[in-house]
Amino acid sequence: MSGHGIRRGIATLVTLAVIAPTLSAQGNDPLAKLDSASRRVVQALIDSAKTEGLPDQPLVSKAQEGVSKHAAGPLIARVVRTVFLSLREARAVLGERANRDELTAGAAALQAGIPATAIIDLRQAGHGKSITVPLVVMADLVSRGVPRDTASRAILQLWMQGAGEADLMGLSQSVGQDILSGAAPADALLSRARKVPIRLPPAKVPE
Amino acid sequence: MTESDLAPRDPDIEWIAREAKRPVALSTGLRARIMDAVRATPLPARPRRGLGWLVSPRPLALSPLGTSLLAAGLVGIGVLVGLAVTHDGESPAAPVPTVASATTHQDAPSVLVHEFVLQAPNAAHVSLVGDFNGWNAAATPMTRTDDGKWIVKVPLPAGRHVYAFEVDGAGGTKFMPDPDGLRAPDDGFGPSSVVLVGQGSST
Amino acid sequence: MTDDAADVRRVLSGDVDAYAALVDRYYEQCARYAVRMLGNRDDAEDALQATFLRAYRALGKYQERDKFSAWLYRILVNQCRSLAARRSQRERVFVREEALLLNATDERASPGWSGEDEEFVQRVLSELDPLLREAFLLKYIEELSYEEMSALTGVGVSALKMRVKRASDRLRERWERIKHD
Repeated sequence: MSGHGIRRGIATLVTLAVIAPTLSAQGNDPLAKLDSASRRVVQALIDSAKTEGLPDQPLVSKAQEGVSKHAAGPLIARVVRTVFLSLREARAVLGERANRDELTAGAAALQAGIPATAIIDLRQAGHGKSITVPLVVMADLVSRGVPRDTASRAILQLWMQGAGEADLMGLSQSVGQDILSGAAPADALLSRARKVPIRLPPAKVPE
Repeated sequence: MTESDLAPRDPDIEWIAREAKRPVALSTGLRARIMDAVRATPLPARPRRGLGWLVSPRPLALSPLGTSLLAAGLVGIGVLVGLAVTHDGESPAAPVPTVASATTHQDAPSVLVHEFVLQAPNAAHVSLVGDFNGWNAAATPMTRTDDGKWIVKVPLPAGRHVYAFEVDGAGGTKFMPDPDGLRAPDDGFGPSSVVLVGQGSST
Repeated sequence: MTDDAADVRRVLSGDVDAYAALVDRYYEQCARYAVRMLGNRDDAEDALQATFLRAYRALGKYQERDKFSAWLYRILVNQCRSLAARRSQRERVFVREEALLLNATDERASPGWSGEDEEFVQRVLSELDPLLREAFLLKYIEELSYEEMSALTGVGVSALKMRVKRASDRLRERWERIKHD
């Protein structure tokens, strides 16, 4: 099998795609393909984001996604605006010290309908750690059909009990599989959540 | 006296109307909640009339200008309909962009290599698209292995990235999320996936 | 066929996701009307949700020869009316923070914009009698013709013209007083 292994090795090297954003930018305008009215709206949103200290790259990416997927200009403008407003709301909810991934994950969670109170609770649950992972997992579960309140309560509880990031991501994975196999989303989450190991020493588990 | 003017002639009223025309923003989760409620509702009953409802009336659609103005929230429904023009056929698809964007890094995050895999034995071609390559299908083509898997390894800064696969198959080209990945909520362009590069260590 | 009619047909044949396209197309216009009419975010959100749900349930009754926007707005206007009636007891005050929250980016917004103007306009609008406010919004914000307004509200054209005129007079009066304060 060594010959096959070597061929696989070479294939792997060859497929290592180098993404160097500064190289591939080539000075082209990512919004060039938008119609002028939509482009003005998107540009204004990007400018506002910069003014307010919000990340603007997610807005650019969202516009590019729309163009790539052949969405109409006005729809792209609408979607970018929703992302902008979600980022603003995420910052209001997460606070000034939120890192960029928390903001984008928080914005996505809000757009998915996760209540702001759930996100605030997550932040206040302590550990001082970034809450990007639980936010992404909440949004993932809701996107798969788990009711929002069930998802946010379960993930909040697990997070407070010290569930690890890998455990939470694994939870999403297995819940996704269960749903594809026909389980009801809420049931799938609750039964898998019970199996997530609690890592805090017993004294720290909140009542 | 005709009321065909849409704009009020009094400058004070005109100013008030202009302010009132500013777009508003409600909670960003509201749209999701509305669609949830819709999905929980049984399908609306079809009309029980005869075949009359199948006959299409004169075709009308919003002109590109009309739809742009609607998106910008600058005009009302009445004006939009006035801008409607007749056309048959769909508007042409926007051409695909050819470059990735320049990313702005606040600090220099560590760069890790992440492998993306899609099981698609019947696909003629698969590309990886995402926020790291400007959603440009030409930037990151994937390679097919003997067992029908498409793979590519990409150096990415640690953190959250949104992505999808562009798949060319028998039915044409379509975008699909990663069946094995975390889901990003659909905000209007269809479902995508999220990857957290460099995450996944336990506490 | 309009996009609207095509989407309605899709929904009626079982494609619920096509309804999302309809919602997207009219969401912002309806949101703006609801906020201006009801004066606060919470009520507007309730009205929007009720409108789109009701429209969904009644889709089978939509006739393609009608404009979908007019059909939808009839529902929206009625939802706003009944919500206002239910909540007439507590008069909500529209505050500066609401204005800032509500204002989405407008490329015409100047750097010095602080929400005062929009707050003022919303305040004076909220002071109007609801029927006058409704007529004013439909004429000058939604830019409907009097015939369309009449079909939508069921009120006669001359009565609507009177309401719009009265609304404009009252608004002008308020504006004059504010200017001289």
